[in-house]
Amino acid sequence: MNLSQYMVIGRYIPGNSYIHLLDARSKLIFVFLYIFLVFLTNSILGYLILLSFIIIGILISKIPISYYVKGIMPIFLIILFTIILHLTTNKAGDLVFQWKWIEIYSQGIEQAVFITLRLLILVIIASMLTLTTSPIDLTMGLERILNPLKRVNLPIHELALMMSISLRFIPTLVDEADKIMKAQKARGANFETGPIHKRVINMIAIIIPLFISAFKRADELAIAMESRGYRGGEGRTRLRVSVFTWRDLLLLLIFSVLLITILSIRGL
Amino acid sequence: MKIRDMMFAALFTALVAVLGYMPSIPLPFGVPITLQTFGVMLAGAVLGARLGGLSLLVFILLAAVGAPVLNGGAGGLTKLLGPTGGYILSWPLAAYIIGYLAEKNWDKLNVWKLFIFNIIGGILVVYAIGIPYLVAVTEYKLVPALIGNLAFIPGDLIKAFVSAWIAIKLKKTYPIINK
Repeated sequence: MNLSQYMVIGRYIPGNSYIHLLDARSKLIFVFLYIFLVFLTNSILGYLILLSFIIIGILISKIPISYYVKGIMPIFLIILFTIILHLTTNKAGDLVFQWKWIEIYSQGIEQAVFITLRLLILVIIASMLTLTTSPIDLTMGLERILNPLKRVNLPIHELALMMSISLRFIPTLVDEADKIMKAQKARGANFETGPIHKRVINMIAIIIPLFISAFKRADELAIAMESRGYRGGEGRTRLRVSVFTWRDLLLLLIFSVLLITILSIRGL
Repeated sequence: MKIRDMMFAALFTALVAVLGYMPSIPLPFGVPITLQTFGVMLAGAVLGARLGGLSLLVFILLAAVGAPVLNGGAGGLTKLLGPTGGYILSWPLAAYIIGYLAEKNWDKLNVWKLFIFNIIGGILVVYAIGIPYLVAVTEYKLVPALIGNLAFIPGDLIKAFVSAWIAIKLKKTYPIINK
């Protein structure tokens, strides 16, 4: 078995749509504010407005809908279970449907729709962010958003550096794990069948060498960086610098409209 | 922050991600053992409280920006905000607590003590954050959520023991704390 076949290289789909070209910082901030809006909304009407806005976003992003569906699949069962739970346990409102011992009340339906919409909106907006922005851009955007926190001695640059280093080393360590698995197989280890305690023991025979080799790499990396005079983020320049454009201004405008709409619906 | 500490935490983050690609071990009862949570229990015991917690914080940030680090190559805010996100968000704290307890007992650490620490940090803390989060996002009743969680307990107990065993081995062959 080859471990690298499990590796889905990023869920980022390159493109040059309006959403792709937005600054990573504005996208991050927008998604966080949008999630805030989702929890501020308290009616199905509000959720329908937020959902239709997202559908427009999907069309603009020019990313095939199948990618978004893939994002929903992992939580599909949970959505289904939630619907059933609310339908069967909520006994408020009028009796709408009755069949033998199954009784469904109007408030149960309302709540099931409400929660389903909420979950759908959260899932789709989050996948839209990661489908249209590469992890590297997001890491950099995150670093720049959090930059002011350096004043209170939070190691923002260091966190971002650690993120890019571990991102860089995931494929390397996957290859390493693959090699170790093959080596242990050559010695007769069996990972797919056999009694559980044997398989657990065989797993240990992969994990320990894998960890030791990663620790050695970490030591070597640290020595290499120290000997090249790495001294942190102070005064460091970048190859690619992103800037705010009219696109980001437009996004701000769109958000304000959404916020006012949601607040006025809430007031009704 | 020392460069060496940063590199260890970063590489450990990568290790936790790689463990997520490994095939899980099915159990005759309950949910299969996924290897990713091994990494969470090991982080504290191997790196100590501060670095272990930091390493998993980086892991969560990576997951949030959509890097395929979660079990089976998943990633993205979707997972973190989804119903099971609380279990993942609890990992830095879990690693910190295991690391704290392990550091306190560093000289007399053995498999059984670490097993207990793993149960406290890796199981109790994770459930204490994960279950209320699940209830809050889906508005389940608490009791069915607790019952559903029972299916994870056999696998988690085996994990707590095996990872204690691995941590003691690693401590002997490649000590990182106090080096």
